[in-house]
Amino acid sequence: MKNIVEVKNFKIGFGDKEVIKDLSFEVKKGEIFGLLGSNGSGKTTTIRTLLGLYQPSGGEILVNGKKFNPENAEVTIGYLPEERGLYKKETVIDTMVYFGRLKGLENPEDWSRKYLKRVGLEDKENEKLEKLSGGQQQKIQLGITIMSDPELLILDEPTKGFDPMNRRLLMDIIEEHHKNGAAIIMITHYMDEVERLCDRALLLKDGVARAYGTIPEIKKKFNNKSLDQIFVDIYGGGYAE
Amino acid sequence: MRSKTFEVIRFETMRQLKKPAFWAATLLIPLLIGGIYLISFLSAKSVEKDPVLKEDTKIAITDEAGIFNKETPFLVDVDKDAGREMVKTGKVDLYFYIPKDFAETKKADFYHISEGLDIFNNDANILKTLLSNEAASKVGELDTLALTGKYEVTDHKLNHDGEDSNALGKAIVPFAIGIVFFMFVALCGNRFLLNVVEEKENRISEMILTSISAHHLIVGKIIALLILSAIQILVLVIPIAILIFVNRDSQMISGILNMIEVEPITVILSALLFIASVMFYAGTCTFVGALTSTAKDASSFIGPAIILIVFPLYFMQMFMATDPNAIVQFMTYFPFTAPIALMLRSGFGTISTLEFCIGLAVVAVSAVIMTRLAIVTFQKNAINFGSPRLRSRRKR
Repeated sequence: MKNIVEVKNFKIGFGDKEVIKDLSFEVKKGEIFGLLGSNGSGKTTTIRTLLGLYQPSGGEILVNGKKFNPENAEVTIGYLPEERGLYKKETVIDTMVYFGRLKGLENPEDWSRKYLKRVGLEDKENEKLEKLSGGQQQKIQLGITIMSDPELLILDEPTKGFDPMNRRLLMDIIEEHHKNGAAIIMITHYMDEVERLCDRALLLKDGVARAYGTIPEIKKKFNNKSLDQIFVDIYGGGYAE
Repeated sequence: MRSKTFEVIRFETMRQLKKPAFWAATLLIPLLIGGIYLISFLSAKSVEKDPVLKEDTKIAITDEAGIFNKETPFLVDVDKDAGREMVKTGKVDLYFYIPKDFAETKKADFYHISEGLDIFNNDANILKTLLSNEAASKVGELDTLALTGKYEVTDHKLNHDGEDSNALGKAIVPFAIGIVFFMFVALCGNRFLLNVVEEKENRISEMILTSISAHHLIVGKIIALLILSAIQILVLVIPIAILIFVNRDSQMISGILNMIEVEPITVILSALLFIASVMFYAGTCTFVGALTSTAKDASSFIGPAIILIVFPLYFMQMFMATDPNAIVQFMTYFPFTAPIALMLRSGFGTISTLEFCIGLAVVAVSAVIMTRLAIVTFQKNAINFGSPRLRSRRKR
């Protein structure tokens, strides 16, 4: 399988602190890749650099062999950031249609209405986003992320704040995109999600990869312990920072 | 497929146009102007300088000074108290009493029934009209004209070459453009600022920058906000233009309209300066919005910029001098003060075309630099979501 993302000797720091020291990994086309680590381990920084929001101080991050540029990207990317936000004063449909047009959808109105029906928000299309609950807003944001059938989906803690039912719905949507051939990078703290969905994973600690490979390979390296236990072992058993 | 910049323009324009707050802010000033005009119009109707007597109004005058011809019909030979009684009983509507020593005291009395506040009643002027008419009938037309002062003196200003000098007429166009620019600064600047900060305050920038580049996003936003500003200013200017058109025959308005002297080169340069100044100010506000994380931070940064923009107005007199001093020269070429300084000097006719063009170039280049800075800063600062989030970013 060809690589869709290549991270080569990537380094980045803020001020005096080196957040990522020397990181290399690949994400293959069509796989679900888990990017794991405690808070502050550098996961989101890596993704933001991949998207061109930060500049690396060393090495490079390539998408389909090139630096990512939204204006002439060869690979369509859908990104659900950890920082959740929308135009709170706008209606659901106006916001979705705007993003749809930016992503080049042919008929964003139709697509948005179908999606809203699927996630049970068809009666909310003319509501202002600020009137929606946190979970409902998250569904809208997820819709915006997947609306152009991206070849690469990057989901930063996608199930954070979801109730079990909506978490299930989200998992189904992720699996659906995977079946359609999308590569997915998933940042999560839920190891059951990793075990259920991910083909391969990388565990980051202090800006360095502590484990990298397929899920069985990682488990084998840690004496076939559960991913939960491996996580606790790597991060010292105490509370993560 | 339409360009992404066009989509940003459409979204940003339409979402503002849909907001009642936009129209409330836009229509407030024209409504105020209209209200003030209506009140002054109604007041003017009530306060006629030369009131016209109704046919059935009964007037009586006691003329102890002997000004009126004895055969004047409304003269009565009664004293002041009797005249007052005539008003009370309804025998007359208006009663005037001119005392014997009127020439010394210059005071007469007026009695009439009044209901309510009656603040706009000007019937006392009836006596003045009657006395003027009486005086005019006794002396010649020219004497009346000389005495009443109801004549015009046409002011012919000459320049040093002995030609007609219409400095005020030439100043009207540059000053009008200056006023429109000032309206833009006062009404629209904040929107540029807040629109960019909103992307960060609502934490949208991280997601939107994966679909569109910072360059296209910021350019789209600036164009959309310029369209909205144009709508807002037109809504303000059009009623004023209509009022001027409706009153074009009034002495003051026709005087001003006749005075306006349009010099094509001045109009073109003033228009170019206006465009460059608007772009510069829009770029500055956008840059400040891109630099800061919250609307509160942005507002404290933009304050000094606004003060600098209007700074030349505090030194208005200096700009009238044909020989500009160092302060005027500095303000003419310093990007923040140049827009108003150039408009003032152009209006007062104290700047050469070459100097104006240099100042215009400074503002235009600064506008491009500011817009570029806004784009680069937004790209670099797009995920600066404010101090609490910065702390969490450092943790990662």
